[in-house]
Amino acid sequence: IHHITHNGGLYKRPFNEAFEETPMLVAVLTYVGYGVLTLFGYLRDFLRQWKIEKCHHASEREEQKDFVPLYQDFENFYTRNLYMRIRDSWNRAICSVPGAKVDMLERLSHDYNWTFAYTGRVIKDVINMGSYNYLGFAQNTGICKEAAAKVLTQYGAGVCSTRQEMGNLDKHEELEKLVARFLGVEAAMTYGMGFSTNSMNIPALVGKGCLILSDELNHASLVLGARLSGATIRIFKHNNMQSLEKLLKDAIVHGQPRTRRPWKKILILVEGIYSMEGSIVRLPEVVALKKKYKSYLYLDEAHSIGALGLTGRGVVEYFGLNPEDVDVMMGTFTKSFGAAGGYIGGKKELIDYLRTHSHSAVYATSLSPPVMEQILISMKCIMGEDGTTFGKDCVQRLAENTRYFRRRLKEMGFIIYGNEDSPVVPLMLYMPAKIGAFGREMLKRNIGVVVVGFPATPIIESRARFCVSAAHTKEILDTVLKELDEVGDLLQLKYSRHRLVPLLDRPFDETTYEETED
Amino acid sequence: TAAAPRSAAGNRRRAGWERRARQRGDRFGAAEGRRAQASKMNVGVAHSEVNPNTRVMNSRGMWLTYALGVGMLHIVLLSIPFFSVPVAWTLTNVIHNLGMYVFLHAVKGTPFETPDQGKARLLTHWEQLDYGVQFTSSRKFFTISPIILYFLASFYTKYDPAHFILNTASLLSVLIPKLPQLHGVRIFGINKY
Repeated sequence: IHHITHNGGLYKRPFNEAFEETPMLVAVLTYVGYGVLTLFGYLRDFLRQWKIEKCHHASEREEQKDFVPLYQDFENFYTRNLYMRIRDSWNRAICSVPGAKVDMLERLSHDYNWTFAYTGRVIKDVINMGSYNYLGFAQNTGICKEAAAKVLTQYGAGVCSTRQEMGNLDKHEELEKLVARFLGVEAAMTYGMGFSTNSMNIPALVGKGCLILSDELNHASLVLGARLSGATIRIFKHNNMQSLEKLLKDAIVHGQPRTRRPWKKILILVEGIYSMEGSIVRLPEVVALKKKYKSYLYLDEAHSIGALGLTGRGVVEYFGLNPEDVDVMMGTFTKSFGAAGGYIGGKKELIDYLRTHSHSAVYATSLSPPVMEQILISMKCIMGEDGTTFGKDCVQRLAENTRYFRRRLKEMGFIIYGNEDSPVVPLMLYMPAKIGAFGREMLKRNIGVVVVGFPATPIIESRARFCVSAAHTKEILDTVLKELDEVGDLLQLKYSRHRLVPLLDRPFDETTYEETED
Repeated sequence: TAAAPRSAAGNRRRAGWERRARQRGDRFGAAEGRRAQASKMNVGVAHSEVNPNTRVMNSRGMWLTYALGVGMLHIVLLSIPFFSVPVAWTLTNVIHNLGMYVFLHAVKGTPFETPDQGKARLLTHWEQLDYGVQFTSSRKFFTISPIILYFLASFYTKYDPAHFILNTASLLSVLIPKLPQLHGVRIFGINKY
């Protein structure tokens, strides 16, 4: 089913997003799986308590047994009985640059993942499907590395100061001008850490008496920034414009909770690409709503900058919108630029205000020079200003890889979430045992994947998340797809019945309970 | 796809329970849920749900799994040759109610760490459901299902007095904790900490 344009004319291209519903049999078996694991967990806890089985995890000394416990035993139930069993799929040690391929240290466990022993062997050339390496800049050779090494000898490794004190280098000014030019905004400001860009700047923009409307699946940095600001926060259903409009209407009609005064500011927090779902925000509709209800828009393009759009300018270019419509364009350099740090772009008044009022500008160390050089070179490369078409090729290759990978996976019969154009591809696993099995089988076949389960995702939506990169050649993708085919048949992961649910009926429970306001 | 429509009377009723629950001590405050949820730092999770336990019973297929589980239990009991049909039904009823009591009304807190700094640590799963909002569909379902089992058990035991006493006691043990008035109540301090 192709849902091409709703709100006729707002979308200049087809918006194909699908979240196939969990098949009922799979859901039932998933619950049975968690039920069996819970019962066995209780049994093992009983055995451990009565010393029939050796207890591996930390426990209090005998003398301390009568004290009030520091932690509640039960909160650790999941970790010791479920997570420990499949713990070898996470925190794997790598020993090379995580580009398209990576070297991993082999490790074994002789006591069911309570402790690990490194065998000393290095698993070479594991295909890396987990790094956010969208444009392939995660490498230790090439022009970026040469330039960064030169700047390292010239400027040193760190600035050891905040932007407002001694940490404002000429490179910072150069970088900010370039970022502003790249995004198509008036001015930009850069920060040392992507997470802190959100958490330190949202409090500078909104405060008490303001309203924040934040998407259900927003990242922890946005949630923390919103909390630190002291504003009232309301959550709308993921990417659901009816929910957002209802909240906007209610906010404007009813005003602040007790006093009914109008809100000082309404700020809508959305992300460009949501990294766990692979969905792209419905930016044209959000912008239309923002204009209609006169609120502000804060767009976090951590995953979409460099990855979407014809020239890699992000989700605004992808939808063909005007960058001036987005009031605060935030992004990070961690994903597509192979560096670290974040930026905020917008009108000159806004950026001047942030230079004085942002917590990060006053207290946090600014970007380090070699990192800035990496960003400068990679950004110039993407824009084509280094004289080659390397950047443009990367962006194009990423788009092709994304489409190819998603199409082949769908044809094979896996359930894939998200938008057709998003390089983040969540492949649904559902059952807890399959999470561990999938990670291990893929490693046996020399492919490294990221798997994620409850409680990080809803209970019946455990998934493996692939990040397609421009550094992946077609051969690499074909290898991965071939292995996925085999593993999919082995573990019976091909659940798709090719019955796409219409976009508005996302399969989460509709009734969620709101607080009653005082 | 708006939030569930709420009648004004229902709102007042809910506000009443929550106000009383709040008066009984903020630990059991029901209005904390969504507001608290909005301001938590959910590290390492893909959603902004503070306590996933509140939504587990609403997820797709949970009610079906539960019904199938009860059915499975009954079939296993029926297959044991020593038990007559009335005994099997009474046993199904009693074991089901015992399991429900233990998992919904005795075990407190969450089996995983939540970012709400332990607000739900002293709450049983029943009290955590939907952040303490009463009369939601899950709560209604899990209140009605032991009653249906009770009707079936009474019928199949032919209203025998001994079975009746056992079944009724078992039903009461699982119905009384579900009353909204007993939200957060610990009689004689049993199971308080």
